[in-house]
Amino acid sequence: MFDKIFEAMYAKVFINIIVKRFTTLVYIEIDSKKGVQSSLEKEFESVEFNDTMYEFIQEYIKESPYFYVTVLDTSTQQGAIPTCNKNRIDYYALVENIEYKCQNKTWAFYTTHDAIVSIKKKYATVGVDYIFSPYAILSDFFKDKIDSHLALYILVQENYLSIAIYENSQLLYAHHLDMMVQNDFDTIEMDENLDELPLDDDAVELDNITLPDEEEIEDFADIEDLDAIDDIDEFSENKDVEEELLESTDTLKDADDTKFNEDYQRFTLIQAAVAEFYKDERYESRFVENVYVADSVGVTNDFKKYLEEEMFFNVYVRRADLALEVCELAKKELGL
Amino acid sequence: MKYSYIEPRKKSPFTQEVQLMIAFFSITIIMLFSTYLFLLYKDYNFQKDQRSILTKQVELKKNIADMKKQIAFINKQEALGEKIYTQNSVLKDSIANLFDLVPARITLSKAKLLKNGLILYGITPNKDVYNFMLQAPLRSIFQETYSSFYPTKNGWLRFVSTNYVKDDFAQGETNSNEN
Repeated sequence: MFDKIFEAMYAKVFINIIVKRFTTLVYIEIDSKKGVQSSLEKEFESVEFNDTMYEFIQEYIKESPYFYVTVLDTSTQQGAIPTCNKNRIDYYALVENIEYKCQNKTWAFYTTHDAIVSIKKKYATVGVDYIFSPYAILSDFFKDKIDSHLALYILVQENYLSIAIYENSQLLYAHHLDMMVQNDFDTIEMDENLDELPLDDDAVELDNITLPDEEEIEDFADIEDLDAIDDIDEFSENKDVEEELLESTDTLKDADDTKFNEDYQRFTLIQAAVAEFYKDERYESRFVENVYVADSVGVTNDFKKYLEEEMFFNVYVRRADLALEVCELAKKELGL
Repeated sequence: MKYSYIEPRKKSPFTQEVQLMIAFFSITIIMLFSTYLFLLYKDYNFQKDQRSILTKQVELKKNIADMKKQIAFINKQEALGEKIYTQNSVLKDSIANLFDLVPARITLSKAKLLKNGLILYGITPNKDVYNFMLQAPLRSIFQETYSSFYPTKNGWLRFVSTNYVKDDFAQGETNSNEN
């Protein structure tokens, strides 16, 4: 009882730490009973927790004994699995010694025990109260869609892509991808390509290429056989018009060289992940048409275009302030 | 916990600094309070002693008054004793003088000493012996002397001599003795 009285007397300070590729973003929000009292964020030029960060955080920790330090898990060996059954976890999660959190009794997100220990050790000077999985952020961010749609959901961070496919709030597939690490998909593709592709330019003989017969070309040109108009109509029925309207106010940037490379890399990773979803027997395959992207980095128009044109998805991009989302989740966790 | 892998640390407004301050103030308050209690006890004890001393003082004063009364009484007793002693001495002398006064031929059988008189009972061989040898000195002492005789079987006379000193004379004599 006294705890609640004391708690009501003090403001709550939420310290949210997001580690990016080369920097660390610290977002601080001070909440009183009336709502958000103040908020600020500062980006530090280091991915390690240093004295400057400590001093900055310490200044706000002093304001209230009710402070909560939240860290977004950025470990590579994390993910989400479409089961909560202890015996089935090993079937999906191919890492040992995991900590998982079950959601809706149907799916769970996980990380390694070592990753949690490592985060706790890294921020030992200020302490850590909450460690969130990107999947917790993703499922909360798209809660309105996940509950009723079958779609591919992607949380885009500078270094990571958290990909998940949900059907009516049931997870079908998930893969957490680190853009800086050569992943499994690339390795497989590279190996296959190495065997099949001729590396020597001279080996390609144009004479050996045979053109299709004229009759065959005419068959392709026969519009009636394709029944293409009907297909287009079917696709358009599955479009999320509401989301499209929301998105239309938020125009994406045009790509510069760096952004283009990154977005292309993201696209290839997503492509590979979707391929895995369809091929891997562990996952229940469903035909995915819509893609919802929670964009925390500012993806370009090209990224969307790639997904739409190459993979025939209906793509909807929502801007996501990751620090704010982490903070919101911390508040939810606290019951605010 | 629904989303986080770990439980948040227990929050309390009593941080280490606050705990230290509370401990410091608590100790100070306890010390002050114990000092206050000690002083209260001492004050109570002092007042109790004071009350007891005052009671003793009253008692002693009462005792002194009693003792003073007793001393006065004793003094009176002493004075009375001395007076009695003096009177007894006087009486003794008077009796001695009386017996000296009685001649050998007269035998006294009984003598009554009164406040202002003397009654003598005795046997005399005859009236003359009595009149000359006893009544004469008695008359010189007492203002009023009455004698009565009655004979015995052997021919001697039993006498009763009643002698009084007059009140005025006795008082005047007392006054002259006091002077």
